[in-house]
Amino acid sequence: MITRRTALALPFGLLAPAAYGDTPPPICVVMNSGAASISVIDMNTRQIIATEPAFREPSHWALTPDRKTLYVCDAGGNAFFAFDPVTAAPLGHCTIADPYQLAYSPDGKYLVVNALRLNHVDVYDAASLSLVKRFKAGEMPSHLDFSPDGRWCFSSQQKTNALFSFDVQTLEPRWTVPIGNTPAGVLWLNDKIIVCIMGENGIIEVDPVDGRITRRIETGPGAHNVFYDEDNKILYISNRGPGDTSLAALDPETLEIKRIYKIPGGPDDIEIAPDGKIWIARRFAEAVAILDPVTGEYDSIPVGRSPHGIYLSTCLARKGKLTAEII
Amino acid sequence: MSLDRLFSNLAGYMDQYAVLPILYHFHWMEWDELSFDWCLVCIYGLFAVIVTYAVCLPMERWRPVEHWPDQKAVLTDVFYTLLNRVGVIPVITFLLFYQAQTWFTGWVVDMGFIPPTLDSLVPGLFGHPIITFWIYALILDCADYWRHRLSHSFRAWYALHALHHAQRQMSFWSDDRNHIFDDFITFVWFFVIGLLIGIPPLQFPLLMLGLRFIESFSHANIRMSFGPLEPILVSPRFHRLHHALRAAGRGSCNYAGVFSIWDVIFGTADFSNAYLPTGDAKAPEALATGTYLEQQLCGAKMFFQSLAKSWHALGSRRPT
Ligand SMILES: [Zn+2]
Ligand SMILES: [Zn+2]
Repeated sequence: MITRRTALALPFGLLAPAAYGDTPPPICVVMNSGAASISVIDMNTRQIIATEPAFREPSHWALTPDRKTLYVCDAGGNAFFAFDPVTAAPLGHCTIADPYQLAYSPDGKYLVVNALRLNHVDVYDAASLSLVKRFKAGEMPSHLDFSPDGRWCFSSQQKTNALFSFDVQTLEPRWTVPIGNTPAGVLWLNDKIIVCIMGENGIIEVDPVDGRITRRIETGPGAHNVFYDEDNKILYISNRGPGDTSLAALDPETLEIKRIYKIPGGPDDIEIAPDGKIWIARRFAEAVAILDPVTGEYDSIPVGRSPHGIYLSTCLARKGKLTAEII
Repeated sequence: MSLDRLFSNLAGYMDQYAVLPILYHFHWMEWDELSFDWCLVCIYGLFAVIVTYAVCLPMERWRPVEHWPDQKAVLTDVFYTLLNRVGVIPVITFLLFYQAQTWFTGWVVDMGFIPPTLDSLVPGLFGHPIITFWIYALILDCADYWRHRLSHSFRAWYALHALHHAQRQMSFWSDDRNHIFDDFITFVWFFVIGLLIGIPPLQFPLLMLGLRFIESFSHANIRMSFGPLEPILVSPRFHRLHHALRAAGRGSCNYAGVFSIWDVIFGTADFSNAYLPTGDAKAPEALATGTYLEQQLCGAKMFFQSLAKSWHALGSRRPT
């Protein structure tokens, strides 16, 4: 059902036929971490159709395993904000300690939350959100991912320059290994772990069994987060300075750089629309870029201060899609 | 482009081309996420200083309370302002706050309690950020009233605060002239309040700057009151009475920073239509006209001396 607010926000001439029926327009949800708000953009008209409040600093998101709820983290506000993943209608919020980044275990049993400010890696029961286990594995836990079989979880410790892994079945730590200055984005790829190393010039590949570094690839200074476009087999790395910022496209097998897109204003999270355009949060520019990966040109939509995480409702069409990092 | 977006862009450039290269070089990139906020603080601070200067300077020329032969003492205040609003102090404060919050909140959360924010605590507030902003502003200003009033009540604490009062050439630059220990007490004071009601949201940096502007403006060397708004907002006349020679130390009046209602409510308001000379007659000359370092050293010495005095007084009263 189309909400009244959505209908009101659409100029009459732009009302798409779909808007009259039961299908709401595809939307983009942007987490404005510096403005304590969430911008909802109609992907067809590229207009902001709603701005929803948060408490302090919304950052990352996850879909619940049943894909009926979109959770947005608000670390400073100690809360999760829940939204309808189709319309972005707000569904309330709940208290949770300092959620910065999060992911559900592949079996949907646990929700693991990196509490960056509090130095906790917290494991919650996915259904009840009650705390099951708290790891104090290092300082400033940043990003996390699981092995696809759900046995292992990996979390980068931004301040202690380490990668921490625990066993999801036993909830016991497996290892913590030093991996370089300021690790951030973490992604399981081809039986290895890719970790962005912000304090160095690119990414590393880590053996998930023992934490050994198997490869190092230069992508640009300040490699921050990593995303995998499964359909087109492209690995994207957002490079966030110092100096010029960019989005690098890599071959997922060879990890060879295929193309570098200059995206000024600190690109952070990305998401890919069905038409192949890449939607990018530009932290310092208070804008979302819509990049055409073929031409390298992009349009910008102004949003709130410091846009961080980005979600497209069109991703619901992808079977099993739950997190930002696998596109 | 909106002012807000312009500032973000400027802060972004400053971050990418000036701050991140330093963080990157020294392997401090874990602060990357926050360095943008530091840059925003600096950009907003710089903007505030420029606006305050642009508004206050012509007004001080137009309707000055006092004429000074030279303005050497004012220069030190300029340094305080730049240090506190644009320079390193906001970043150091931020880092201290961050660390203290990490330790303390981590401990509180381990005890099973998650600190609330005002808008999560008070039903109906969430989703009304402007109302939330004003409630935070009122609570913090009330807390500041009591901090300031108490700093006039304890001998050792006033020994620090005397630095703020020693200025005889009070101008819009004088708001930030404080002893660094006094700044630290203020920091702890607001830290505790931040834990109780949550740290205020930063959606409205321009409103925040508006409040800081009132504080600077109230120190300006301007013959001006706010007429019917006197019992609500702190005017230059109102705050000058707080800085008057006779009001130094205990038994002062007009302690409020932004909203004069606190002085009305707690019975310390003085709305006399008078523009008195400012300063603290008992303060050593170094506090009034010394350089930044001389003022800081002198203030620290006075602080420790009066602490020792209080300690001895306590000792002599102890039963033997
Ligand atoms: Zn005072
Ligand atoms: Zn004052």
